[in-house]
Amino acid sequence: MEPLTSILLHPERRVGADMARWAAAGGGQALARAAQDPAGVRVAIREADLRGMGGSGFTVWRKWEAVAAELPKPDKYLIVNGNEDEPGTFKDRMLLEETPHQVIEGALVAALAVGANRVVFYVNPDLKQSLAAVDAAIAQWHASERLAQASKALGRTLELSLRPASGHYIGGEETAAISWVEGGFPFPRGKPPYPAQAGVHGCPTLINNVETLAHVPHIVVHGAEWFRSLGKAPGTGTKLYSLSGDVLHPGVYELPMGTTLRELIFEHGGGLLSGKPLKAVFTGGPSCSLLTPVNLDVGLDFDSLRACGGSLGTGAMIVVSEGTGIVKRVAEYMRFFAHSSCGQCNSCKVGTATMSRLLDRIDTGRGTAADLDTLENLCALLPGSGRCHLISGTVQLLDSSFRHFHNEYRQALR
Amino acid sequence: MSNGGTPLAQARALYRVDSELAAPPELADPDTLLNAFHPDHLRSSVVKLAVGANAGENCQRELAQQLQAEAFIDEADLAGAPVTDTDVLIIGGGGAGCAAALAAAGRGARVLLVTKLRLGDSNTVMAEGGIQAAIEPDDSIQRHIQDTLRGGHHAGDPELVSAMAQDGPEVIRWLIEEGMQFEQTASGDLHTRKAGGMSAARIMHCRDYTGLEMMRVLREAVIQHRGIEVWEHSPAVELLSNERGQKCVGAVFTSLLDGRFRIVRTHSVILATGGLGRLHLNNFPTSNHLGATGDGLVLAYRIGAQLRDLDSFQYHPTGLVHPPYLSGKLVTEGVRAAGALMLNAAGQRFVDELLPRDIVCAAILRECAEGRGIRVDDGRVGVWLDTPRLERSQPGMLERQFPKLLARTQMSGIDPRSEPLLIHPTLHYQNGGVVIDVNGATTVPGLFAVGELAGGIHGRNRIMGNALLDIISFGRRAGVAAISEHDRGPKKVTLEHVNQARRALTLAGMPLTQRAPQILPDYAAKGIWNR
Amino acid sequence: MTSTPAAATGDSQPAVNLTINGIAVAARPAMTLVEAAWHGGVPRVTGVSCLESVCGSCRVLLRRGKEVTVDLACQTFVEEGIEAVFLPPQATPKHHYEISEFTDSWNNLARFHEIFPEASHCRHCHGCVRSCPKGIDVESAINLAAAGHFRDAGEMFLECVMCDLCDSACPEQIAPAHVGLFCRRVSAHFRLRPPNLIQRLEEQRKERLLGQASPDSHE
Repeated sequence: MEPLTSILLHPERRVGADMARWAAAGGGQALARAAQDPAGVRVAIREADLRGMGGSGFTVWRKWEAVAAELPKPDKYLIVNGNEDEPGTFKDRMLLEETPHQVIEGALVAALAVGANRVVFYVNPDLKQSLAAVDAAIAQWHASERLAQASKALGRTLELSLRPASGHYIGGEETAAISWVEGGFPFPRGKPPYPAQAGVHGCPTLINNVETLAHVPHIVVHGAEWFRSLGKAPGTGTKLYSLSGDVLHPGVYELPMGTTLRELIFEHGGGLLSGKPLKAVFTGGPSCSLLTPVNLDVGLDFDSLRACGGSLGTGAMIVVSEGTGIVKRVAEYMRFFAHSSCGQCNSCKVGTATMSRLLDRIDTGRGTAADLDTLENLCALLPGSGRCHLISGTVQLLDSSFRHFHNEYRQALR
Repeated sequence: MSNGGTPLAQARALYRVDSELAAPPELADPDTLLNAFHPDHLRSSVVKLAVGANAGENCQRELAQQLQAEAFIDEADLAGAPVTDTDVLIIGGGGAGCAAALAAAGRGARVLLVTKLRLGDSNTVMAEGGIQAAIEPDDSIQRHIQDTLRGGHHAGDPELVSAMAQDGPEVIRWLIEEGMQFEQTASGDLHTRKAGGMSAARIMHCRDYTGLEMMRVLREAVIQHRGIEVWEHSPAVELLSNERGQKCVGAVFTSLLDGRFRIVRTHSVILATGGLGRLHLNNFPTSNHLGATGDGLVLAYRIGAQLRDLDSFQYHPTGLVHPPYLSGKLVTEGVRAAGALMLNAAGQRFVDELLPRDIVCAAILRECAEGRGIRVDDGRVGVWLDTPRLERSQPGMLERQFPKLLARTQMSGIDPRSEPLLIHPTLHYQNGGVVIDVNGATTVPGLFAVGELAGGIHGRNRIMGNALLDIISFGRRAGVAAISEHDRGPKKVTLEHVNQARRALTLAGMPLTQRAPQILPDYAAKGIWNR
Repeated sequence: MTSTPAAATGDSQPAVNLTINGIAVAARPAMTLVEAAWHGGVPRVTGVSCLESVCGSCRVLLRRGKEVTVDLACQTFVEEGIEAVFLPPQATPKHHYEISEFTDSWNNLARFHEIFPEASHCRHCHGCVRSCPKGIDVESAINLAAAGHFRDAGEMFLECVMCDLCDSACPEQIAPAHVGLFCRRVSAHFRLRPPNLIQRLEEQRKERLLGQASPDSHE
């Protein structure tokens, strides 16, 4: 079934690094408007209620206002976050590879809106095609008048650069991205100071996800009202859902923000493989959670999911059918998080490593009641510690699997 | 355990680091002192065993209850228990067990080492003072033998003592080859110290972390050895015997983690389970680790092994009284060997600090009993170990040579460089134990016993530094001897010896209410057996 | 003295309330977490042994407010409102070597990097340093080891109790405690040649040769 809404992934926009075709489909209009009225862009973004699509769901305009309010020291940075490394997430790579100019335009609009002069495309080093497309697209911008015009509007030279990320999952965290762009290991830092005040080399820094920025030109051109109307309240606009797992048609779906899980899986995804009943859905991103069949009619937007104890994350929906072992799946996630923890905080590194070992033991028939007790005690002790969100998100996943599938853990004990 | 004594604060105010000290009074008759004050000599603490290989002999009361108790398991408990076969089974993961394992595996045997807690959790790891071996030019193997026998009140087995002393230098060399470090002098010699009951400087050490250094090296060597498999958190609950109940052919283990039983069948069992301080004999505090509950004695006795000197224990003179959480924990004898004196509440010396441990211990107990001790709030009493005076005479020496002592006491705000430590004897070591020959073989075929569990080496009193030598010397000897058991392995593994022991207990009219081995002290066993 | 935690021992003192393994415990002041766990009847506390912080078994995760740290339970005193969870036993180390297989000490550095390839990957996160209950500067020691300064690196691990907290705190899986022990072991194995010991061993060897010549020799 064809996607109902198609803005970011409209076939006319999926032209790769072809500037002429991008312009023919309306590309460049938003940047021209932003050059006239950068403050107006911020108002539009605010009225559109655009959210951070990298997993946080944070209101974009707040970050923008904070960066806009700072003076350059001497620069201001915008990092376009394409680290995309969460399990089950594969949307940003599509935007970068197939619509690089759309992303670049969104980034430049944002740069004008907040006064940033250095724009860094920070892309997962394993996404070779995305890197190639962005590289080629940036070259075209340098060769065109558009960048010079934008620089003129900004009042100083806009620099576009591509920086392959570290390949570490944790590099997607915004302060970690800043460390890497500065040339260090991608360690998350404590906040405050927030990147808006002191980011790359102490300069005010805005960091937005690729998908977030891709929405920007359309909001500027069509208006906040139009954008809001695309979503299913309380969601606004569209969302790229990465659908995977035991469904007939996995893939990226651009649908109204707030589309229900039922619609996504059964109308768009073609239902479950072999007609098996749905068991659970893992939502990907830094704060993973588990959805179950009782959540089928919940809107997949940030607020609705949070209200039912879940989280939208990056919009990754990993579907598992009846017959899938939850313990094994959670153990796999935990191994990933334990591997990803950067090491700075004992709570996160020791916590994830311990939980991973205990889950592996339980999954392989060596777990004891004491192991399960320890896991539950850790779920109570760990949340909220650590300088970034990794440990809390990890515990959230484990905890929600306990809530819904405790019997499976019990049965796996020896 | 005391009469009066001076309150701590008052005694502290009286203490002067620079007071003039007279020599301690001459000790006219050590035996009278021991008889009057040493816990081994308390009439109420000794009973006669009613059953078993030592029936009719003296035994400490609480230990006797353990030795004459009902078994932990019945045959029915073993239904469905998985069975593992191995060449050599070693029970106990301290220094002796590891040395035995390395010796056996080094000669190609398949070794299974099973330990109650974690590998290395043992009394070995806490040993601070050092290890004896006669290596100095003015020393000899013969003097080492004589000192050991004299220290043990000539109750030790000369053949065992001789074997151990002869092994001394080679044991040190083996430990160095395994990667253990020792203190050296500027010229590269091993640094030696003289301690209580020694006629020459013979103690080698690694700061005051000798046991830790030894244990972590041996533990790593065991973990890294391809021929050794290790089961942790698996206490032995019973040995297994042949159909006649007369040969040891394996053991039964449970798990602290899931409570399941497992059976191991083998040619040779080496018991290396250590001591029994955590039975808190005569209500004494102990320096021992949590797992020191005398399990090996119980298992060996039930299968028929001869034991010895079961009424002789070492109460180490300098156990801490204060701070309370370190109650019973040791201040190494090395501190006295380095020159620290002991004072009563009046600030007087009362005994030559370097006399054998049992005499020093009795002297301290006398001071406490006769009102010359120092009392803390909860009523416990002790005497001073004058560490500030030692520091004053040799500035920096505590930090250089006893970093562990400093680190531990300073955690609770006590600095032994500026205030004396309050000490009282603590249950430290089991002098006696399972009767063995020079190969660690017990009187039961197929069963070896090494380390603190074994008896006969230290007689009725062990001198400092011989415990670490004993465990390596006899551990290695038993490891080698165990692989020479060459029958084709057990045809049948049974609990026949348990039946025989039950029969004997019933005929002797003994109650079968208490079960043994103890495995963990009651205060630390909550919820472990009922899951 | 009154300022020390140990000074307060009487039952009249108000209880210190904390949580151990999810169970509320009303402990007495100056208790360690191990004592508090026993006192409060916390079940299945199996990772306890020496009670004087040299065996490294009683590892705990501790939470004070939002701060979470690791330590040994037998050297941590109770505090109002803290939460503690006893950690499961250590995993078996994954690095393998037998010191008897080392022959030429010129190759020690090469062997070291074969055995511990991760040791040169240190990302300087300081997680190991934060985790060490003995205050060892683990990270510096690892970097010394990776540069072949085995003796100096090993010396820094003098007080290591093999709790392996640094192992579970290391994102590069360097296994720092085992690196430290490796350094100590090769230093002793190759460098410790004490004349007084060697002299005595030599005397014993000659005696044995003499003894073998006579019929009543033992050993």
